Amino acid sequence: MLETAVAETSAAAETGAMAEMTLRICHLYPELMNIYGDRGNIIALRKRCEWRGLELEVTGLSIGREVDPDAYDFYFIGGGQDREQILVASDLVNMKGAALRQAAAEGAGFLGICGGYQLLGKYFLTYTGETLPGIGIFDAWTEGAEKRFIGNMVIEWEPAAGGKQTLVGFENHSGHTYLGPDMKPLGRVIKGFGNNGEDGTEGCCAGNAIGTYLHGSLLPKNPRLADEIILAALKRRYGMDSLPPLDDTLEERAHEAAVRRT
Amino acid sequence: MAAAVAACRLVTALSRGLGTGAGSNFPGRVSLRIEPRATRLLAGGLEHGCIVVSGTNGKTTTANMLAGILRQAGFAPVHNRAGANLISGITAALAQSSNLRGRPAGDIGLFEVDEATLPKALERLHPHLIIITNLFRDQLDRYGELESLGRKMSAGIARMSPDTELLLNADDPLVATLGEAGGLEKIYFYGIEYEGYGTMALEHASDSTHCRVCGALLDYSVVYFGHMGKYTCANCGAGRPIPDFAATRLEIEGMDRTEVAMQSPFGSLKLEVKIPGLYNVHNALAAASGALLLGIEAEAIHTGLAGYATAFGRAERIQAEGREIFLVLSKNPAGFNEVIRTIGSQGGDGLRLVIALNDLIADGRDVSWIWDVDFEDLAVRADRVVATGLRAPDMALRMKYAGMPADRIELERDLERALARGIAMTPTGETLFALTTYTATLALRRVMQRKGYVSHFWKEKADA
Repeated sequence: MLETAVAETSAAAETGAMAEMTLRICHLYPELMNIYGDRGNIIALRKRCEWRGLELEVTGLSIGREVDPDAYDFYFIGGGQDREQILVASDLVNMKGAALRQAAAEGAGFLGICGGYQLLGKYFLTYTGETLPGIGIFDAWTEGAEKRFIGNMVIEWEPAAGGKQTLVGFENHSGHTYLGPDMKPLGRVIKGFGNNGEDGTEGCCAGNAIGTYLHGSLLPKNPRLADEIILAALKRRYGMDSLPPLDDTLEERAHEAAVRRT
Repeated sequence: MAAAVAACRLVTALSRGLGTGAGSNFPGRVSLRIEPRATRLLAGGLEHGCIVVSGTNGKTTTANMLAGILRQAGFAPVHNRAGANLISGITAALAQSSNLRGRPAGDIGLFEVDEATLPKALERLHPHLIIITNLFRDQLDRYGELESLGRKMSAGIARMSPDTELLLNADDPLVATLGEAGGLEKIYFYGIEYEGYGTMALEHASDSTHCRVCGALLDYSVVYFGHMGKYTCANCGAGRPIPDFAATRLEIEGMDRTEVAMQSPFGSLKLEVKIPGLYNVHNALAAASGALLLGIEAEAIHTGLAGYATAFGRAERIQAEGREIFLVLSKNPAGFNEVIRTIGSQGGDGLRLVIALNDLIADGRDVSWIWDVDFEDLAVRADRVVATGLRAPDMALRMKYAGMPADRIELERDLERALARGIAMTPTGETLFALTTYTATLALRRVMQRKGYVSHFWKEKADA
């Protein structure tokens, strides 16, 4: 059987009204915090905006640069190796922390993956006993452990639009994350380890901020979550409450293939 | 010992006779079960000792190039050529070439070693020359992070006796520091000095871009590929060692030939490399430098390299149904980006491709690395792509997000049908590019054997 992917519908042509709209993303530490294809999340957001005729501006901000909390609709921070994460932690807390907390309080979107997720929490107590501070957007903390959680992961997720869906990706972390009483997890682990391998939770949500251990890349294979992120940003900036649909046949097939091989 | 060698040979013969595989690893495991010291005892019988080649990319090509040079110079290398680079594969290579008294038929050991296995292999083989090619992110689920892999390799090297020769790639900031932990007295560096084919920008697959001493971001004056290049640390002044063995001029002539002018402590020489890509210049440089350290003459080096036939699956041209299939093993972001750069600059536009993505243990169970590959550069030059392998939908999706129109991406999980489709969409006399992960390369080659496009690789690669 030969299968041909279905051609993209000309979504852009139908959505002329969106052409005036621009979303602005701040990509934090793009060259330091990128592991397991985390930049695929930016690629996915860019393409899914482009296919709808939306402008997307991505600004990379690395060490030594300050954040203007009013300049961006959405902030992304990926995972990194230990060395990179230590380099980033002090800059994040000292140079950018206050502005990012302000942006989060005003409803800007956040997505932190793995190490980036840990840094959005309150602190990371390493296995060797050092404390790495976080910026406290989440009431969550992480403790280093000897055993690494490595493998493909599937979680159950409740989209804002209702219903139940799966999210799929790949995790590799030695930090165990625990959520404070008012924090909501991103989802419940079906297969894999998640936040800490104990309580069945994975990730964290607070307002429009999301943290998760799911690499993979996360957003290309989980297009509903990608669209939820885009819609939340459009709603906040332009008051929009729905998105023109895209043909996600290939996305769904990749999602299903990943679930099957987990 | 006799029992261990006999068992290994018997199992090898059986496995080849039954057509179950190339007999690369299992026979070694049988020998080790019978005689756990087999590796050390057999290697100890080699008159000229052992050479070990390790690193993420290029170890098979480098070792095969060096094997060709050694033969040209009159040595009889014992060599694990099928890419079986764990202790079991090395032991199998030794046992298969030994007589029943445990005396090897060859006189020098030449082993490519999996980077995570390096410390264990060094302990058993006691090589007099260690060559490290490069370190890239590859299967982090198996090897762990690059930092800790580097530390383990470095610790293994530090346990070697001080007169062990260590040959390192100066252009890789992490590899260049691997000799610093121990008391080794003979550390040499090879590298590319010529800047004509470099760029100014680091790719997304760059891994070791921070100073190993102080952690600051390195300044690159030129980048060859990945994080290979000329770098210094503006913060603490640490930097790239001056290569003892340097490519001072390169002349790339299409896909078929690169001429390298090389300077060394043993004088200057010319190399002729017959496979494409800057990464193969590194491989040739490593092989030639190793040969010079062994005392081999420039002429044998030139002839040995020029006669080099491609390592199994790592850039083969195969004739099939009136088309040429260009099969390249592409297994991690750095390797893939270099392949894309090479076929992009040499293969023109309107490319037809089969890309096979598997996620078995030897490939790495995680496929997220495809998002670190610059497929955008391939999408603009590609006419049609067939995505195949166990994670074919992931690959198809990657090409869609790289900017290819979805109606030019075909999804066919089955390798044999994907190959047939690739051949059908390629006009007679034209080239089909097949980029495949490790187990997909093996599987695709089995398909091509059945079709009669290629012969069995252990026969093809038998001593010639």
